[in-house]
Amino acid sequence: MSVVESRVRDHLSNQQDPQPGIRLTEQQQRARRARSLAIALALGGLALLFYVVTLVKGPGVLTQP
Amino acid sequence: MSATLARAEPSTAGAGDYIELMKPRVMSLVVFTALVGLVVAPGHIHPVIALTALICIAVGAGAAGALNMWYDADIDARMGRTAARPIPAGRLAPGDALAFGITLAAFSVCVLGLLVNVIAGALLAVTIAFYVVIYTMWLKRTTPQNIVIGGAAGALPPMIGWAAATGGIALEPVVLFLVIFFWTPPHFWALSLYRTEDYVRAGVPMLPVVAGERETRRQILIYTIVLAPLGVTPWLLGYAGPLFGAVALAGGAGMVALAIGVRAEQNGHAASKRMFSFSILYLFVLFAMLLVDRMSAGLALW
Repeated sequence: MSVVESRVRDHLSNQQDPQPGIRLTEQQQRARRARSLAIALALGGLALLFYVVTLVKGPGVLTQP
Repeated sequence: MSATLARAEPSTAGAGDYIELMKPRVMSLVVFTALVGLVVAPGHIHPVIALTALICIAVGAGAAGALNMWYDADIDARMGRTAARPIPAGRLAPGDALAFGITLAAFSVCVLGLLVNVIAGALLAVTIAFYVVIYTMWLKRTTPQNIVIGGAAGALPPMIGWAAATGGIALEPVVLFLVIFFWTPPHFWALSLYRTEDYVRAGVPMLPVVAGERETRRQILIYTIVLAPLGVTPWLLGYAGPLFGAVALAGGAGMVALAIGVRAEQNGHAASKRMFSFSILYLFVLFAMLLVDRMSAGLALW
């Protein structure tokens, strides 16, 4: 096999597998989606909590009693 | 190399595994006792601030639970009751549990300190540190007094609730602290009497493993005799009504009667199982009565 043929073959195989590395299974993808959703909900809840507490306490939100 | 690959394997842990890591049943008891501390406290706290305090306390308790499961994964794997937890079952990597626990602990303490008050935040930090460092990392594996001293962590939530409402500490929440503190040993020792083999297998020096069943039964009775009058103290000090006093007296008498039964038991563990179940009911009813008492007093004023 010539060098050119070898390079063409490598190029074709790279085209078939463009991103070598860790491939998530269906279950891993589902779990990651669920975790991402939970993190988003938690962050949203935290932002809402700060917003509501700011409304309740007014401008001196960090003023201690 | 294989260990490295195993660590690099993408996680299949779902949100449910992380919730399990936070010990939701323990969390609910912590929130309940903190709520009682908050409601019993004098003065007024805005409902949103009260809710913020309870959320922070719940998340802080969850953080302590997650860090406990991270550190105790080896013990959990050897005990039937805990072998299916997310880390020993292989559903969650220990490093993920550690990161989760530290993040929740930092957030809960900072948010409670900033949005409610610094005393409450500091008490929550002490509670988490006491449970994770003093109890889990130190006492649990070294002394049969592990749950006696470590019980202080479980007893602190009413004080955090009180501090959230008032910005300080007083005698009343200290009494509630003492009630839970003296309730913890008879409750856990009753359980450990019929789970001794688990603790032997895990190498945890619980009292029945180290001192034997006879001594454990004697200590259960002693702690219960101290607990019963302590349970009535809120009524004696005047911050709970006669209905609470009557329920606390009856509950305390029930606890002492069951502890005498445990002490007298020669074969089997039927009395220990009864004691364990009743102790949960006793603490729940005691704190629920304080809540009812304070709410009915509030309604009467209204």
